[in-house]
Amino acid sequence: MTTAARPAGRQRRGSSLAPSWQKGYLLASPALIAMIAILIYPLGYSFVMSFYRWDLASPSQYFVGLSNYRDTFNSLGFQQTLRVQLIFSFVTIAIEVVAGIGVAVLVNSKLRGLKLARTLLLVPPMIAPAVVGLNFRWLFNGQYGLVNAILRYLGLPEAPWLSDPNWALASVMIADIWQNTPLLVLLFLAGLQSLPQEPIEAAQVDGASPWGIFWHITLPLLRPVIMIVLMLRIIDTFRTFDVIWLMTQGGPGGATNLVTVNAYLLAFQSASFGHASAVSYIALFLSLIFLALLYGVPWMRRRLRRTS
Amino acid sequence: MTASATASPVRRRRGRPAMRDGITAGLVIRYLVLIGTVLLTVFPLIWLVLTSLRSSADIFAVPVRVLPESVTFNQYVAVFSQYGLDNYLWNTVIVSVATVVLVILCAVPCAYAMARFNLPGAKVVVSILLIMRMIPVVALAIPLFAVFASIGLLDTLTALVLAHTASKLPVAIWLLMGFIQDLPKEIEESAQMDGASTLRIIVQIVSPLIAPGIGATAVITFLFTWNDLLLALTLSSSEAAQTLPVGLTNFVSQFGIDWGAMSAAGVMMVIPTLIFVWFAQGLLVKGLVTGAVRG
Repeated sequence: MTTAARPAGRQRRGSSLAPSWQKGYLLASPALIAMIAILIYPLGYSFVMSFYRWDLASPSQYFVGLSNYRDTFNSLGFQQTLRVQLIFSFVTIAIEVVAGIGVAVLVNSKLRGLKLARTLLLVPPMIAPAVVGLNFRWLFNGQYGLVNAILRYLGLPEAPWLSDPNWALASVMIADIWQNTPLLVLLFLAGLQSLPQEPIEAAQVDGASPWGIFWHITLPLLRPVIMIVLMLRIIDTFRTFDVIWLMTQGGPGGATNLVTVNAYLLAFQSASFGHASAVSYIALFLSLIFLALLYGVPWMRRRLRRTS
Repeated sequence: MTASATASPVRRRRGRPAMRDGITAGLVIRYLVLIGTVLLTVFPLIWLVLTSLRSSADIFAVPVRVLPESVTFNQYVAVFSQYGLDNYLWNTVIVSVATVVLVILCAVPCAYAMARFNLPGAKVVVSILLIMRMIPVVALAIPLFAVFASIGLLDTLTALVLAHTASKLPVAIWLLMGFIQDLPKEIEESAQMDGASTLRIIVQIVSPLIAPGIGATAVITFLFTWNDLLLALTLSSSEAAQTLPVGLTNFVSQFGIDWGAMSAAGVMMVIPTLIFVWFAQGLLVKGLVTGAVRG
């Protein structure tokens, strides 16, 4: 202790802020203790227990190796979950990012009412996903819902929004897109406003078309923001639960059973905590794989270009 | 500051002729996109409010009426008199406020230590914070259920406050670190020369300077706790600890679906969000953008 404190004491004369690490950790300790006890310990516990047979019904717990993971990948239910999750993540992220950039680029000028619009755009991302789920469940109600009423009014065929498996997946994706696209618009607007104006002005002076400016200048400059937004959305689509739970609870027939819903049902309806833990860690590993692809592929391409 | 002030008139002068060449067609499209986006954003919420103001007979009218036949607040009365919403509301308020207080009290000194003391292992701690942001909540909810069950804390507000505090801390520390790192060190150094203790520096000097950061962190922590469904659904089983989002799920299972009352409950759940969005918009955007950019 004393030997460790001495260099800090010597440092005090050099840099006047006296960074003694004991004091630093003392300040950090309430937060660190809370996180270790209530976050890291339970997570570690469930990671270990994902290799155990762990049912709430039976008190006996024993090591089963990778069997929970093997069971999960072999189960038809999880194969469906995996398919549904990939469709959900891919489609919602693609639509949200494209729409987010499109709207942000188009409204990024001195428009009247833009300030009010930005305030309103902040509402959907900030309200409870549970309320979004219940509201869209009501909008998509087959008989009394507004969406079918509009379709009827327009003379179009009604859709079995929440009762048909394929339509149900589309419905929950629409709810997710409604809630998250506005946030992406705001993030892209912030990104656009921090871009250097010179290249765009130079291109305008040279008579470049708006589309050319967008495609060859704005979009490449916006790349760091796009990467961050993709990262956030990948993480969050693999955490999506609330909207689904209020709209479909994973149904009909598992058609909207995303990984977190699957894990929740395994734990609290089948009481199979070992399997549920395995599924929740698979969800984490899947999002890690996609993040690795997101950051790894451009990095490798750059390396290849540099070497060739 | 001065650079941007001198740059903007130039930008505007150059931007104008380009816009005039592109003729108003471009401007019309821009306004159409803006109006369309706003309408799509707002309309589902307006529908929620309209549903909450209808009588039960009006809700099940075929064909659907756009405007309520007559405006009634019966649904709002019903959620309290029939569904005991006051209990859920009270639980949610306690959990959210207690979580915000605990998170700020723990996160500010921790963020200060991480940002200003050259702590050995600080990098490891910070990268763990980022990994925690990625963990699906369900991965935490499952073992927390087991842990709290074993110590008899299930179905208590204490369990919810503890769970939320711990799970919101990583983002809070991460956000606050950014705000502290942006401060010039000199003020703290001179305060320290004058013999101020570290705790006093944090409370009296750093905290007021990063007040916007603390505000943003508090608002974001509050809203994400207020909105949470999964932890509350897992850790509570009775009215002793169930929060509003769980109450919403009870409308579905327990009573069939009473759309009017459910919409009224939904509207009340959204009100704090609307208040924060309206009055603390700057803080929220700052927190979200900083969090995203630094994430």
